[in-house]
Amino acid sequence: MNVNFNKRDPVYMQVIRHFKERIATGVFEPGQEIPSRRELAGRLKINPNTAQRAYKEMEEAGLIYTERNLPSRITKDEAILKSVRGELIEEAVDSFVHSIRSIDVPVEEVLELVKEKYKNDGEEVQDD
Amino acid sequence: MNRFVKLVNFELSRFMKVYLTLAALTIIVQVAGVIVKANEYMAKANEAINEDRIPMAQFVEQNGAMSFMDFTRSLWFMGPIAICAAALIFYIFMIWYRDWLGKNTFIYRLLMLPTARLNVYLAKAASIVLMVLGLVSVQLIILPLENSVFKWMVPVDFRSDMTVGQIINWDYLSMIIPQTFTEFILYYGAGFMAVSILFTAILFERSFKWKGIIAGIGYIAISVIIFALPVLSMIFLNREYLYPLEILGLEVALGIVVTAMSIGVGNYLLKKKVTV
Amino acid sequence: MIEVNDITKKFGRKKVLKGVSFTAEQGEITCIIGINGVGKTTILNAIMNLTPLNEGQILINGETIHKHSYEKITFIPDAIIMQPNMTIAESMQFMADFYDSWNQERATELLDFFKLQEDEKINDLSKGNRAKVNLLLGLALDVDYLLMDEPFSGIDIFSREQIAEVFTSHLVEDRGVIITTHEIGDIEHLIDKVVLLDDGKVLKQFNSEEVREEEGKSVVDVMREVYQP
Repeated sequence: MNVNFNKRDPVYMQVIRHFKERIATGVFEPGQEIPSRRELAGRLKINPNTAQRAYKEMEEAGLIYTERNLPSRITKDEAILKSVRGELIEEAVDSFVHSIRSIDVPVEEVLELVKEKYKNDGEEVQDD
Repeated sequence: MNRFVKLVNFELSRFMKVYLTLAALTIIVQVAGVIVKANEYMAKANEAINEDRIPMAQFVEQNGAMSFMDFTRSLWFMGPIAICAAALIFYIFMIWYRDWLGKNTFIYRLLMLPTARLNVYLAKAASIVLMVLGLVSVQLIILPLENSVFKWMVPVDFRSDMTVGQIINWDYLSMIIPQTFTEFILYYGAGFMAVSILFTAILFERSFKWKGIIAGIGYIAISVIIFALPVLSMIFLNREYLYPLEILGLEVALGIVVTAMSIGVGNYLLKKKVTV
Repeated sequence: MIEVNDITKKFGRKKVLKGVSFTAEQGEITCIIGINGVGKTTILNAIMNLTPLNEGQILINGETIHKHSYEKITFIPDAIIMQPNMTIAESMQFMADFYDSWNQERATELLDFFKLQEDEKINDLSKGNRAKVNLLLGLALDVDYLLMDEPFSGIDIFSREQIAEVFTSHLVEDRGVIITTHEIGDIEHLIDKVVLLDDGKVLKQFNSEEVREEEGKSVVDVMREVYQP
């Protein structure tokens, strides 16, 4: 686990985002055990208080759950899992649209380019 | 073991190498001195008797029999004592300054110990006293030994014997090695008072730096004046209105006052004013 | 909580602290930053009663410092504070002798963590390793508060990483930490609270996550605003 944190977003939000990405891509499976707060702080090299905060927020959002004194786990709730994926995609598209709009390109041209790039990129990845 | 005892132990151990060197130096130089002095005398006697054909009795009459005092008056005996005394007086200052000097300022640790800071002060003072007593003990132990070496090297006809008791009664040795318990208390009490005055003066300097030097010297002056008040008043008034025993009693009382004052002021400085 | 209330400190005629106030909570890492060097160490010295103040007051959990406080709060200056001719084992023994709050188990763990050899003399250690010994002797005490003066300055990058790791571990957890630094670099993510100091005054104090969340600014952004208006 290695995260490059940026310096202007709250660290706890970056941690949550990191978790969401892993959930969306299936690295974290539903019901999987996650590191303790202390472990997480050590691995990500962040303040234990920040790890605590991130877990608290995720717990409230239903992303993770804790039963009694057992370690926390990734949620098994399908609806939440799906929404995480949707949310991430939407976020990525949003920021893409935001930056592409500033160059003022027709949407068809962009979509064509996107398709092509996406295909090539994917093949390149497979070639590796 | 409480922290005061541990501190004393620590203070003693960190000076131990130098201290043992001092003790060894004293033993080696003094014993060597007895041998050298005895040899000198006997060489002279042999020369006179064998070469100049002077009868033994006449030689002893002319030159005097050799006594142990001929050795104790020499540099062989007094040199090591002077060196030890100088080293310990120097260490009264260094026992504090070494904690501030250099990159590794140990005073941080000492001031942050979970014990009254006065214990640091008292432990250092106790260490000095113990070191003095230790060296005096060494001297006391090796005196009979030296006396034996002396007797072994100089035949009985050439020497005038003294007991250890007579030896330590002589001159400045009687200051270092008191004859009675009362003297012991008086001499070493006065010594402890002097140490406490110097410690407090050092702490003035450590607390207020340049101004502290003046304050420290001022403190020493005030202490000395208080302690010497009875004697001074007699000198100035030119009248002896107290019996010697009364003066002694007064001095003891003033000595206790000055020592208590030094410890009290030292404690205050350590707690409220000292700086790392 | 450590409360520093309006403290003033003069060295001769020079005022190094001109009414400094801030608080540091237990369980948080508070970072005192001063780009111009003066005053930070003096604040830590003053908290530990190692230098007298001209005005103001410092409270630790509501009390002024006393001899028993040193079992609960400790200070790690930037120079090692042991006799240099002692070995690491001897300095640990010294601490164990004098502090009830010495935690031998944790000391052994730290020795391992820092990969230090017990029988080495402090004198023979590299600068980085000395800093680690210094840290070890402080961290192995079961204290509520830990004060560190420039723990990252003048040591190699690997030692620095290792020391930073301490902050994210259970070794520091639940304690209040105050550290001073002149460059925030490596530790921006680690700290809870920032106190910006300049010319003997606190220019600003803030919670670093709050500033990111509410203003979208990094700690360095805030420093830029404060120090170069």
